[in-house]
Amino acid sequence: MNGVFSLYVPGDSMFHRLGVGWKYLLLLVVSLPAIIVGDLWLSLAMLALVMGFLALTGVGLRYSWGIPAGLWLLLAIMVGYQVLIAEPLRGVVIAANLLTAVYASRLITVTTPAHVLIDALVDGIRPLRRVGVNPERVGLAIALMLRSIPLLLDSFTQVRQAARARGRDRHLFALLTPVVVRAVGHAQASGAALAARGLGEDEPDGVGSHP
Amino acid sequence: MIELQGVQVVVSVPRAGGRPLRRILVAETTLRLAERRIAVIGANGSGKSTLLRLLNGLVLPTSGHVLVDGLDTRDQGREVRRRVGFIFTDPLAQLVMATAADDVELSLRRDVPDRTERRRRALALLEQRGLGRFADQSVYDLSGGERQLVALTSVLAADPVIVVADEPTTLLDLRNRTLIQRALSEVGQQVIVATHDLEIAADADRVLVVDEGRVVADGAPGPTIASYLELMTR
Repeated sequence: MNGVFSLYVPGDSMFHRLGVGWKYLLLLVVSLPAIIVGDLWLSLAMLALVMGFLALTGVGLRYSWGIPAGLWLLLAIMVGYQVLIAEPLRGVVIAANLLTAVYASRLITVTTPAHVLIDALVDGIRPLRRVGVNPERVGLAIALMLRSIPLLLDSFTQVRQAARARGRDRHLFALLTPVVVRAVGHAQASGAALAARGLGEDEPDGVGSHP
Repeated sequence: MIELQGVQVVVSVPRAGGRPLRRILVAETTLRLAERRIAVIGANGSGKSTLLRLLNGLVLPTSGHVLVDGLDTRDQGREVRRRVGFIFTDPLAQLVMATAADDVELSLRRDVPDRTERRRRALALLEQRGLGRFADQSVYDLSGGERQLVALTSVLAADPVIVVADEPTTLLDLRNRTLIQRALSEVGQQVIVATHDLEIAADADRVLVVDEGRVVADGAPGPTIASYLELMTR
């Protein structure tokens, strides 16, 4: 299933060639005015515009426009709530603005490799070095987080299938406990892998542990 | 060269209503590992992984010392890990970045500060191993063998003096196992590999058999593997 923001797809579109700073600016230009003004036609126009931009990336409409089920559910709840309080048009505006923001973010993520995004972020927070923030370490932490998302989703799918095979897929505790245990195991394995490569060792002594 | 001087690894296992049990993972061991290709074989839970993790300081000995080119893993862990690259059984645990190129780049971070140059070198290293087409692919989309080859490329990118591999072929099919075996045999560094694969062990210059935390046989592949087979079928 397509994720909310989607992974980078190599290509040669104008958006692939655009600098990451310009893409962040485009994200703001496309999503902010509609959110601030709150006009139905402006929101729909911006949504159409960003969908047009995604179509121009050449990564395929199914991939670039596809929305995961969870987001559809969220949109339905938001619109449903507005309909209930007798403001259906406002519901459409909110849903269109949310979709515009998601698509504008996706325009960045499908056309920019993760390392370029992270490098841009590291550059952006470099001034915080003065107050003790290590930008490289923040970048590494974000990269690890991005890397862990598919693993956790995969882990949840495997656990659900195993539980279903034993007729226990309706027991939330039976599903969550192994996922949490696996997540902790993954965190330990990632820590060992980083240590084995000598990363995250600014401290004078090593990271070896007594078992 | 790696030296283990009277190394012992002991853990306490908690026990309900009693004193913790003292469990010996590695019994007192003294070894000099100088051969170019060394294989460590033994049953599951025999202590192979702990023995290997001692070699780059991922596990510290309860007593004794592990020296890598004279550097003690206890006090000079960082320098030791620069010298000793470690390949894990499960490459997904090892590949900590989202794509193959990002992961190789991560290994180069310490020595190549310039991002553009780092990227160029990472892509070149992947290309050398025939992995260029996977550079921007998610590590999840690679096969087990491709992941393990990327992991090996990442480890070698840091230019270690010694490569330690903990059952690198256990999760692989025959084709991928052959790929990894060939890749490891072509590596210029000293290689120490724990394995259940007796063909890989037979290619080594020296084989160690580990059983219940002890090195029970140590020598040339032929007689040592024979003693292992006898031990396992006893």
